[in-house]
Amino acid sequence: MVMSFFRKRESGLEHVAHQTVSMLADARHSFDLASMAVLSGADPAVVGADIDATDERINQAEQKLRSELVVHVSVRGGEDIGVVLAYTLLLKKIERIGDQAQNVFELASEGVSFAGADDIDEFIEVRDTISLMYGEAAEILANQDEDAARDFLARSFEMNDRCGDRVRFYMHSEEPGSWAVPRAILYRYWKRIVANLAGIVTSAIEPLQTMDYLDGGATDINDD
Amino acid sequence: MPVIPPALQRFFPLPRPVRAVLVFVLIYIFLVGVSSLEGGIKVMGADTQERLFSNVDHPIAGLFIGLLGTVLVQSSSASTSVIVGLVASGALGVDQAVPMVMGANIGTTVTNTLVSLGHVRQSIEFRRALAAATVHDFFNVMAVAVLLPFELLTGALSSAAEWLSEKLVGSAGTEWKSPVKVWVKKPVDWIKDGLSSFVDNDNVLGTLMVTVGLLLVLVSLILITKNMKTLIAERVERSMNAILGRGGGIVAMIVGMLITIAVQSSSITTSILIPMSAAGVITLKNAYPVTLGANVGTTITALLAALAASRPEALTVGLVHTIFNLTGILLLYGVPFLRPLPMKAAEKLAAVAVERRMLAVAYLGVAFIIVPLLGVAIFR
Repeated sequence: MVMSFFRKRESGLEHVAHQTVSMLADARHSFDLASMAVLSGADPAVVGADIDATDERINQAEQKLRSELVVHVSVRGGEDIGVVLAYTLLLKKIERIGDQAQNVFELASEGVSFAGADDIDEFIEVRDTISLMYGEAAEILANQDEDAARDFLARSFEMNDRCGDRVRFYMHSEEPGSWAVPRAILYRYWKRIVANLAGIVTSAIEPLQTMDYLDGGATDINDD
Repeated sequence: MPVIPPALQRFFPLPRPVRAVLVFVLIYIFLVGVSSLEGGIKVMGADTQERLFSNVDHPIAGLFIGLLGTVLVQSSSASTSVIVGLVASGALGVDQAVPMVMGANIGTTVTNTLVSLGHVRQSIEFRRALAAATVHDFFNVMAVAVLLPFELLTGALSSAAEWLSEKLVGSAGTEWKSPVKVWVKKPVDWIKDGLSSFVDNDNVLGTLMVTVGLLLVLVSLILITKNMKTLIAERVERSMNAILGRGGGIVAMIVGMLITIAVQSSSITTSILIPMSAAGVITLKNAYPVTLGANVGTTITALLAALAASRPEALTVGLVHTIFNLTGILLLYGVPFLRPLPMKAAEKLAAVAVERRMLAVAYLGVAFIIVPLLGVAIFR
């Protein structure tokens, strides 16, 4: 620990940035596992332990990084205060999408499985698209690429609309509740995850006060 | 006192190597300041010296003068360097300087207590911040309460320091041919020659040289601290994060010492802890040893100042400062049942101050101004 004073390593905010991207990778891992449990009928007991451990890792990382941000402000004063506040928001958003993967997993825990269902291909396609979006969001965060961020946001709105349409479709479905309700809930959770990923990506193009909004604060990225 | 005004700093960031060179130049200016201070006192007549320093003959008066002087300049590094300069001139004896150095140790705690007042509007934060700040106060007061009478009765701390400085530079009463003294001789001569062209009275010349010396010491220390803080901010951040991850103890103490040696200011180290404590990211138990490490680290400045002195007694005083702080830690932190006492006192004060906020301000005024002033008035 004393040697940390002498070693040359990444700066405080660089470390926070790297860890934030790692948290997003963990959140993706949780999402993939939870979705797999619902879509393939994998044993929830087996997948659950991994999801719980990953969620715990995300929570611990959030708490540790918050402390590091306080240390950064204590040492540096207010010079990076905007970045520090932005990271506080980002960390909370990533932690939240970690929790939303848990929500997806709860469906599997309740016995929901779409393995062998007629509409499984559509679920898999949406799941794969969202999973890729995690990776893209992490890359945009790491590189602060504005063009990639705008492109991502456009696609995330399309995906959001698509999920919203599916939720409405299942709400008005004539099929039994045991068929329609799990589908509506799954799309609802996915919609929220996509909205949160979009919120994270806005950090690359929006100033702090309109982060999680678009068009200079005019458009609210509704993730509730 | 920034090198470049804050608003312009982003446009003119100093490259790291330039800043590092600047720090060395500032250390040189600091040593010139100490030597000018010593030279100024020597230029004054013996009567003037006697009049000036007879007030500190009583150890309690010396203690409070050390405390007040440090509160005034908000830096024990500066005040102890000045004390070292005075001892180097022969105007002040080691026995007079030791209580002053102990007073400086208490006086330096005022800065982080002032910083903690910034949290006064948030009860929980304020309670944690004030406790983290005043644990330093209570530790230093307790250390002085035990070690000053011990020193007055036995002379053990100064004897140990004297023995060490004799081994290092020679015995008391002799002239020490410090190489640093030779390096800084020319600028000090320039100051003396420059000023003597305006005045022909030795007392006035001495006073002007002391004033220039004091200014050089204070300004150079402020700039050293500022530049070093910028240079090592990343290291400080990493070390603090490491403490948060793994807890306190001896390692936290060493980290506190290293940071303080690097920035030449215990106030910087202890003040960094205040917002962290207020936010609850570091516990009082873990902040406490960092503070103690800062106490030891800050003694490096007086030792540095002693390098520019011509008498071994100056080094003895610097070493007394170090030995006093190490002994205080061994006693109050090393003995398990004494260790929690400063923390308990700090927590108690913080709990009361949260209920009555003005009490915190009153504490500062009474402990750091009124009591020392009364002490000087009574014991001088």
